[in-house]
Amino acid sequence: MEVMEIAVCINRVPDTGSRIEVRNGVIETSRLNMVLNPYDEYAIEEAVRFKERHPVVAVTAFSAGGEERYDVLRKAMAMGVDKACLVKNGKDDDSYVVAASLCKAIREYYPELPDLVFCGRESSDCNRAQVPLMLAEMLGFAAVSAVTKLEMHNREIKVWREIEGGIEEYVLHTPAVISAEKGLNHPRKTNVKAVVKARKQPVAHVDGSIEESPRILYGTFFSAERSRNCKFLETAEDLVRVLHEEKGGL
Amino acid sequence: MKYFVVLEQREGVIKEASRDVWNAVQHFVQAAEDGEFYGAVIGAVDKDHVSDTCGGKGCVYIVEGAELLGYNPAAYVRTITELVAKTGAENVFIANTAMGKDLSPRIAVHLDAALVSDCVVEVGRNGLLKASTTMYSGAVAAEAQVLSNRAIYCMSPRARRPAKPSGNNVGVQETVDFGIVGADPSGWNPVLKDIVYHAGKKDVAEAEIVVAGGRGVGSGEDFAMLESLAEVLGGAVGASRSAVDEGWRPHSDQIGQTGKSVAPKLYIACGVSGAVQHLAGINGAGTVVAINRDKDAPIFKAADYGIVGDIAEVVPQLERAVREFSEQH
Repeated sequence: MEVMEIAVCINRVPDTGSRIEVRNGVIETSRLNMVLNPYDEYAIEEAVRFKERHPVVAVTAFSAGGEERYDVLRKAMAMGVDKACLVKNGKDDDSYVVAASLCKAIREYYPELPDLVFCGRESSDCNRAQVPLMLAEMLGFAAVSAVTKLEMHNREIKVWREIEGGIEEYVLHTPAVISAEKGLNHPRKTNVKAVVKARKQPVAHVDGSIEESPRILYGTFFSAERSRNCKFLETAEDLVRVLHEEKGGL
Repeated sequence: MKYFVVLEQREGVIKEASRDVWNAVQHFVQAAEDGEFYGAVIGAVDKDHVSDTCGGKGCVYIVEGAELLGYNPAAYVRTITELVAKTGAENVFIANTAMGKDLSPRIAVHLDAALVSDCVVEVGRNGLLKASTTMYSGAVAAEAQVLSNRAIYCMSPRARRPAKPSGNNVGVQETVDFGIVGADPSGWNPVLKDIVYHAGKKDVAEAEIVVAGGRGVGSGEDFAMLESLAEVLGGAVGASRSAVDEGWRPHSDQIGQTGKSVAPKLYIACGVSGAVQHLAGINGAGTVVAINRDKDAPIFKAADYGIVGDIAEVVPQLERAVREFSEQH
């Protein structure tokens, strides 16, 4: 039987508990604890479950950047991913460049394009949710984003996603890119044995440098001011009165 | 400059979020004066509904087709790409909804455009558009400098909604046929099979008033107090991540970084501690009220008004006070 190839694209982000500071318009990143992007855990889990159900599935994790990304690639292997591939790329700021690098790497890595690509819905640092869909268009794959439930029979995939006030159901075929929303599954915890084993596994390298230049430059960073001046009130009646008088609400 | 707004419809009605984007962009055009202005609605909508909804000036295209009633990604991408290319618009705007978030990166690739997601757009002093966005759960604000000739702006909702522009000089052009409409014959593109709407429930992302509960509510059953208050106010109930993780509310109610961004006129946070991830979801909110037992809870720093007290006491009192107020006014 033909092997089904699944690629999982993962990112490395500051721990969501980190305190991000801006100094002189530059984001201070030296003291941050970097981890696997939480949404990518759902993507990895979904891919690994495919492998556990169907023994002819091979799962490879990809991450675009420098060698500091070995840690997240190894975490993916500890979760059950078969192989890991670092997509060497100097610049990683703009989603378009990242998607183009991943696209190039996937085309180079596989003799034939993979059947499925899983990504997290978004990265928890920039929250742009652009890379999975850009990658899908660049690969010429079908795609559905922010998926909360997935069923697959042969090459037909049924997915569900949340929209405002409801749930949409789509049917599509492989090859496809699926971006995982929280709720798709419960990602497993890694155990020590798996972590130690993953540390010994090799990480492949693919050149992800591309001619394309970024389309956007993010700058003029400043700490977002969100402190409001809270006026404390004694009773619910007082609240209703001030909302009416001061805000014209109610 | 040419400006193009993608208008989203559900069941033949243009969404509020899209109307806000249209209105906001009409105000840019007034600032720029020489702007040319376009819009597009995909799926069956009444021509009069478009004329009534879209004030100001410009031309709105209606693209109809049996397979375009719901969101059909491949057909929508082709339609928007062709229309934008035909009009030559340099600036494309779309509301940051579930559809807008899915559609915008796809069209960015096909139009070779820069994409600014979840942003607020203003006209700078030089007359050029200035887009800002946030990063790291809303902790850092950043300005996005567009380096390409064309840009797509996926615009976040704001509580202070732009006014409908005066005048009505909008032409509506029905049923544009580019010969591109139709399901992909290869059959691999996603096809929308079904939409199940949550019956009788207002979505937190679209409500004018949101009553949100956190761990301090105590249990799933105790959310009934919040439901009851929301009903009196005509609002929707939301939840913090901890309340969702406890299984008290579905994920569709979750507000914050891993949930929805909301921009109601009035946001009432009950027993929500106010983690940065939660606050990231209420950046666009108007008036924020916090009710919490802990006077040092971070939510009070993000609130305009606060009551220190027990949810079980304050929330029913508030409901009574609102009822009494409505009877008197």
